[in-house]
Amino acid sequence: MEELDGEPTVTLIPGVNSSKKQMCFDWGPGEMLVCETSFNKKEKSETVPGCPFIYIIRKDVDVYSQILRKLFNESHGIFVGLQRIEEELTGKSRKAQLVRVSKNYRSVIRACMEEMHQVATGPLLLHLLDWVRLHVCEVDNLLADVLGSENPRKHESFWKLVTILVLQGRLDEARQMLSKEADSSPTSAGMCRILGDLMRTMPVLSPGTTQTLTELELKWQHWHEECERHLQDGTFASSPHLESLCKIMLGDEAALLEQKELLNNWYHFLVTRLLYSHPTVKPIDLHFYAQSSLDLFLGGESSPEPLDNILMAAFEFDIHQVIKECSIALSNWWFVAHLTDLLDHCKLLQSHNLYFGSNMREFLLLEYASGLFAHHSLWQLGVDYFDYCPELGRVSLELHIERIPLSTEQKALKVLRICEQRQMTEQVRSICKILAMKAVRNNRLGSALSWSIRAKDAAFATLVSDRFLRDYCERGCFSDLDLIDNLGPAMMLSDRLTFLGKYREFHRLYGEKRFVDAASLLLSLMTSQIAPRSFWMTLLTDALPLLEQKQVIFSAEQTYELMRCLEDLTSGRPVHGEPDAQRLQDDDIETTKVEMLRLALARNLARAIIKEGSLEGS
Amino acid sequence: MHDAQMDYYGTRLATCSSDRSVKIFDVRNGGQILIADLRGHEGPVWQVAWAHPMYGNILASCSYDRKVIIWKEENGTWEKTHEHTGHDSSVNSVCWAPHDYGLILACGSSDGAISLLTYTGEGQWEVKKINNAHTIGCNAVSWAPAVVPGSLIDQPSGQKPNYIKKFASGGCDNLVKLWKEEEDGQWKEEQKLEAHSDWVRDVAWAPSIGLPTSTIASCSQDGRVFIWTCDDASGNTWSPKLLHKFNDVVWHVSWSITANILAVSGGDNKVTLWKESVDGQWVCISDVNKGQGSVSTSVTEGQQNEQ
Repeated sequence: MEELDGEPTVTLIPGVNSSKKQMCFDWGPGEMLVCETSFNKKEKSETVPGCPFIYIIRKDVDVYSQILRKLFNESHGIFVGLQRIEEELTGKSRKAQLVRVSKNYRSVIRACMEEMHQVATGPLLLHLLDWVRLHVCEVDNLLADVLGSENPRKHESFWKLVTILVLQGRLDEARQMLSKEADSSPTSAGMCRILGDLMRTMPVLSPGTTQTLTELELKWQHWHEECERHLQDGTFASSPHLESLCKIMLGDEAALLEQKELLNNWYHFLVTRLLYSHPTVKPIDLHFYAQSSLDLFLGGESSPEPLDNILMAAFEFDIHQVIKECSIALSNWWFVAHLTDLLDHCKLLQSHNLYFGSNMREFLLLEYASGLFAHHSLWQLGVDYFDYCPELGRVSLELHIERIPLSTEQKALKVLRICEQRQMTEQVRSICKILAMKAVRNNRLGSALSWSIRAKDAAFATLVSDRFLRDYCERGCFSDLDLIDNLGPAMMLSDRLTFLGKYREFHRLYGEKRFVDAASLLLSLMTSQIAPRSFWMTLLTDALPLLEQKQVIFSAEQTYELMRCLEDLTSGRPVHGEPDAQRLQDDDIETTKVEMLRLALARNLARAIIKEGSLEGS
Repeated sequence: MHDAQMDYYGTRLATCSSDRSVKIFDVRNGGQILIADLRGHEGPVWQVAWAHPMYGNILASCSYDRKVIIWKEENGTWEKTHEHTGHDSSVNSVCWAPHDYGLILACGSSDGAISLLTYTGEGQWEVKKINNAHTIGCNAVSWAPAVVPGSLIDQPSGQKPNYIKKFASGGCDNLVKLWKEEEDGQWKEEQKLEAHSDWVRDVAWAPSIGLPTSTIASCSQDGRVFIWTCDDASGNTWSPKLLHKFNDVVWHVSWSITANILAVSGGDNKVTLWKESVDGQWVCISDVNKGQGSVSTSVTEGQQNEQ
């Protein structure tokens, strides 16, 4: 067994009796069943179960989350869009597109998180939520609160607010607050103004300027020194608040660490620290500062959490590590799958070759999509994801799509359409068969027939046709005439079906009084062997009214044929397998019928011969 | 309770137990409604198996009483539709063949024989028996997924493609055997897979994922689970890989529907989940353990043993 980086997670099943009883399990389409069994290797099988419950274990529970649902839906749209822009663009425009996709994902995540505000979530997300809440929403709320109050500077959170603003680098707003303080307090007015000035003059790199990094660096050094001087001179000595703010702006680590509570986490600490001590930090140096920030912030009191590991890996630009950490830490595949896909499109991913899925992107997408199939409607999103997995997507889709419960006709049609669009003929056949079977059981023969036709299932079509014919024999009429009348080329699917269609046509012709056509059709049904022998008696009986008509319908030739068929049929007796009593009774009826037929045929023959003879005569 | 099985869609659950009953529950939307309590066996029922939904709602059960019973739902009620009594000893395992082959049930028994019941229509079942499949007894049967040979050639519609039917069995002779149906309809032993040193308790043939390889998992009284793979299409060379040696008997192995996870239940009271990693090694990805503690699972009330 390969060495793992971490122990596999253990899922405990709440059970009362933990003596050595076996657990049995079974896979469902998207979940697993577990229960205690009676097997007990140590002692004789006990009759009383320790734990009488069966548990259903799901691994993709997030699929059922209401809030995440929106995330899944919207990210699905972005995902599909991303797959489609693939080969069209190159160079700059492509890069711009990819960045836009990234931004789309980010805004969708952001929207989701803001929605989560109202609802309690899992521990990892709480971290992120705290971040959003504190550093965006809460600060703004606080700002509004304080400014809106009668006497802002007397607000209990005033200094807290100013500090946060400085920590976040929102110096303009901080200055605004300070000016309020300056206005109302003559003693600190001077200091406030000086600090405010420092805030105003802090050099920042703004996009679009022609300023080089070196120039910025130089300016910043000057500014930094000026701040330092003020501190040394004791300009802010009489106001601990202002002094602390100045220290923060100098990037003093101790001062920053004092604000642990307001910073809330080490990456905020990192950002602030960099802002005020290494504003021109280069990406490659980022991880160094990240690591030290993490260490300083935690101060040996606590150990890094999974999210921390993810961020650290991100700061090191170690993509594979990020993906790996995410896979371990997060409860579903959503994030990793989409991230990896995007990175793959940016060609940033050197794919590992995996046995299953042939590369990491596909592997993760497969996992994510499989999870979606556990949901009664999100499975439709999963289809698209499988579509974009070139190696195993199709077969995975085939396996999953057959397991979707076809609870309504609409759902069945949806599933079928998806299969037909992708030429998944086996699945179409299988699903249609299932639906046809259900229809037959519920005696909806017309529905069953149309499903078997759609499935191109000759055997089943034969079965259903037989049922139709049997029904006709019993009741003397057809059900679902519309369907049978409009079979068209589908009639050719099976001999029995063709017979059914033609037989119905015979009845129609008869109804339209097109007796000659009806007659020849009837005859051809027997002579062409399309009609099953068991049905011949019925057909011949159908011929009776035609034989008894005033005018001669069957020609002599045709009558000879009919006679031959009748003799064929009668010589083929006795029918085996039937109980004697039944047979005798049937024989009686049969004999009468046969006699009647013989008589009718003979009479017709006579008339036909005469008729044909006389035509020539006159 | 000895076994529980979900149906094809995960909407129904069948359970069987020592109290000789087979129970069926509707488990949609986390509910648990007892639909049927099927009585007919005269001994503990070892295993149940759902047939493919295209044949309707059909369930097979096998028992210590040497019988295999096939139950069918007709007009909303469950009834016994067939009883097979061709074995001299406890029937330990039943498994339905891929639906493409028709309605065929394989049964493995302690009398060492394997019987194959094929539905031929009108309530009739045809029986083929493989005697002495495993000396002492057969504990498990598992069908290979249907693979259409020469599937590149179009079959005329209405004709059944010529499937090569295969299944695997595990027995008290410590062997896993692979069986193949010959052209004359007789079943022949195609392969003997030797690696276990004690009774083979379960075999599971992995679903096909479109690759030319075939994979079988087997577990045994000796605590070992092996993964057997065969790379060539003809199915001749099988190589075993030891998944893990557990400290106790391993009772059951089963593949998830896309064959990417293997679940194993063993005597150490755990169900472990395994996945193949980058370099072909099998890695344990989760432990499902019995014990105290709370977990986010939904609970379905099972049955109480009544004896």
